Amino acid sequence: MAMKKKRYALVIDSRKCINCKACVVACKAENNVPIGNFRNRINEERKGEYPKLSINFEPEQCHHCADPSCVRVCPTGASWQRKDGIVLVNYDECIGCRYCMVACPYDARYFNEAEGVVDKCTLCRHRVDKGDIPACVETCPSKVRVFGDLEDTTSRVHELLSTRRYRVKEPQTGNGPQLYYLL
Amino acid sequence: MGTIRMDRRLFLKSAGATAGAVAALQVGCLKYFKKGRSSAGDTKEIPTTCELCPNKCSAIAVVEGGFVKKLNPNPENPKSRDMLCARGNAAIKQVYDPDRLKQPMIRVGARGEGKWKPVSWDEAFDFAAKKLSEVKDKYGPQASLWSSTEGFQEVFFKNLGLSFGSPNLVRHPTLCLASVNLAYSATFGTVPSFDLLNSKFVIMSGANRFESIITPDTMDLIGGVMERKAKLVYLDPRFTVTAAKADEWYPIKPGTDLAFILAMIHVIIAEGRHSKDFVATYTTGFEQLAEHVKQYTPEWAEKETEIPAKDIVRIAREFADAGARALYYAGRRSSWYQNDFQMRRAQAILNAIVGNWDQMGGMVPNAKLPKGEFLFMPWDEPKAPRVDEVQKEFPLAAAGDGVYLKLRENVLSGKPYPIKAWMVYKQDPMNSLPDQAKTLKMIEQMDFIGVIDVQMSDMAWYADVVFPESAYLERTDPVEVMPGIWPAVVFRQQVVKPIHDTKPNLEIVQGLAKRLGLGDYFDYTIEQWVEAEFKDLPIPMASEHMKKHGVWAASGQPSYGKTLTPDHRFVTKTGKIEIFSERLQEAGYDPLPVYAAPVQPPGDRFRLILGRVGYFTHANQSNNVWLHEFMKENDLWINPKPAERLGIRDGAYVSVSSSVGSVKLKARVTGEIRPDCVFMLHGFGKKSKMQSLVYNVGASDAVILETAWDKVSGNAAFHETFVKVANA
Repeated sequence: MAMKKKRYALVIDSRKCINCKACVVACKAENNVPIGNFRNRINEERKGEYPKLSINFEPEQCHHCADPSCVRVCPTGASWQRKDGIVLVNYDECIGCRYCMVACPYDARYFNEAEGVVDKCTLCRHRVDKGDIPACVETCPSKVRVFGDLEDTTSRVHELLSTRRYRVKEPQTGNGPQLYYLL
Repeated sequence: MGTIRMDRRLFLKSAGATAGAVAALQVGCLKYFKKGRSSAGDTKEIPTTCELCPNKCSAIAVVEGGFVKKLNPNPENPKSRDMLCARGNAAIKQVYDPDRLKQPMIRVGARGEGKWKPVSWDEAFDFAAKKLSEVKDKYGPQASLWSSTEGFQEVFFKNLGLSFGSPNLVRHPTLCLASVNLAYSATFGTVPSFDLLNSKFVIMSGANRFESIITPDTMDLIGGVMERKAKLVYLDPRFTVTAAKADEWYPIKPGTDLAFILAMIHVIIAEGRHSKDFVATYTTGFEQLAEHVKQYTPEWAEKETEIPAKDIVRIAREFADAGARALYYAGRRSSWYQNDFQMRRAQAILNAIVGNWDQMGGMVPNAKLPKGEFLFMPWDEPKAPRVDEVQKEFPLAAAGDGVYLKLRENVLSGKPYPIKAWMVYKQDPMNSLPDQAKTLKMIEQMDFIGVIDVQMSDMAWYADVVFPESAYLERTDPVEVMPGIWPAVVFRQQVVKPIHDTKPNLEIVQGLAKRLGLGDYFDYTIEQWVEAEFKDLPIPMASEHMKKHGVWAASGQPSYGKTLTPDHRFVTKTGKIEIFSERLQEAGYDPLPVYAAPVQPPGDRFRLILGRVGYFTHANQSNNVWLHEFMKENDLWINPKPAERLGIRDGAYVSVSSSVGSVKLKARVTGEIRPDCVFMLHGFGKKSKMQSLVYNVGASDAVILETAWDKVSGNAAFHETFVKVANA
């Protein structure tokens, strides 16, 4: 039986994010992320003057782009992309040159000092390949992120992108980011 | 930014040849390692129950090669469902914390000096039993104090204190939620749950549920507000995450919430918008209320609260129109002001008159589940009266929990009798009580202090002997029923063997009991205790089920309205919901909430307000390495206007002084707070060097907070301190 084509993506409803950091710690545990490094984060935008104020929170991690600049610039082929869209680093081939970190428009990568390689969000591929969802998606108290396969027309991500307005970050880079922020 | 980065990218792409050269140079440093450990046969998934806060969320521990690798949420729990907060996720680091208590220790230097001798468990038990016996022989068993905080194994500690003969158990409620619990009990005869998931209109004041602690209520409120479009009105002197998510935020003048609520009641009754049928059938004292609130007009309340009268009127109308699905949220930590009981009583009354009792989207009395009991050998009740004189001073308070701050006053004065030994379990009075200098005095006058904890808290740092408790992931605990709209039973079972020379609390209690001649009262194992509790659970094969799933919940939807029959008797004096309370009147308190304007800080002072952030909340989490990354030091929030007046710059250190102490903090000059108050977070500035990440970093609010309490419940009032702020 031929495997159906997949394209993984995250749809993010930032309005529901309360900056509780559960996703950040879950990622840290799930992926052994070193202290001082993060594979995901919550951006904060604070505006206004007392008492006219607002705060917006925006979770962010690797956008697992359609045409990822990190993969294009990698001199050894260590940065690569699976057919389902997940962008990964092959640690055996990474020489730690960090070009990919500069090339990423989203500051989604970090240098693992202890191992001498660049690392990043893997969309918890080890979980996803078993049919589970990424740790950041699962643990979230308000279920800000929705994970799924855009090629599957019955998926929640497909439904959300078909019925809701959304934006992507830095579209002008031509990277084709796959983190979709609902408006 | 995007363009710049794109240019870099194009540059790098075109510079491929150079990249190749760099690659060649760096090949020598190549490090090989395998990522993503194999999920081989040694991986186990064990369900258990989180202990990092009192909410009992269900977790599944992923254990690889004897190590806890990950904690996943267990969706079978109807309350916590599929969430674990930042703290829940970080519980792994409680086990593998290098600062952890690793073996029993006896103090060899002066108290607080930090000189310790590692000892065997036998030595630690012998030492503590000898000291406790000396105090008992000299002063009587009531001269011992037993302090503890909510926990599944707390029962064993309390039973040790009681069987030793001391009536002086003192628990955390009067540092936390005693006033809100007493206010709702006094009105409804019980403390209900709030059906935030289904509510249409929520008012929150004296609570910050999107920020300060992440619990099932937080999830429900997000569901209600963000998905089902419930309206959220939020009052807070500070612009918090909850304020950011609310439909309307009012920077209320601190301590005036009662005026706002009374004016709302005034509007609702004056306009006849209350639920007349409900009030007539289920409540008593409405007429007195109607008369009483005539004085509390919205115009009057505007002057007190600084919330415009027109908004108070509109909010009151919208609230009453939402009726059964409107909620004035009760709050959790309610240790705010000296009138806190009456403020929460007014909320309870407001909720009552719109008829949200036992309704979907309203307040719901908690459903319970039966649980078996282990029958242990009983002891004689302690003979002496309590040292805090609760029955006399706070006749309506929960006597068994004690009133902490009154207790400390009495211990310091030595009246009605001396206290000379202090045993502490799972609590840090050095940081959770105001006025640390007083707590230190209390410590000084003890002949003996023993502390049971997972880590070297500030209290443990001042102890004579420290008993290291196993972390929750290393223990099996008693079974807990979680009453609620969706009641559940949860079980905490051992996930990994203790990695250090630690013991579960029961075994520590048994070690002491044996040497105190009380061994017979504790002659059982945790397994026997737990199996007895499993017995009456309404589950076939309860033991097997709980070990396999970690949680059990009744299936089906919650049923609302079970108490809405005219012959239902509420557990109050009159059997009705008591708007006017004779019981309060007889005890010498206001039978209806009476407003008194809070004293305002003099010109050069600020009211100090406190708060929490959900990834720490309690003082015992700030040394967790995964949580510490989010905030390394606490700071002092101050509005730009007063900051400019005082010449205080953002990020510069300032001294913050009250009548009892002074601390240094970094200033955060921010428009997200009113100009008349300043704010700091709890949990920093530790004295214990074994809290290495936060030792002497930032400041502890306990150093500058003054002692004050709510008159009715005895709950601490943490927002009644005025401070002076100056460049340090």
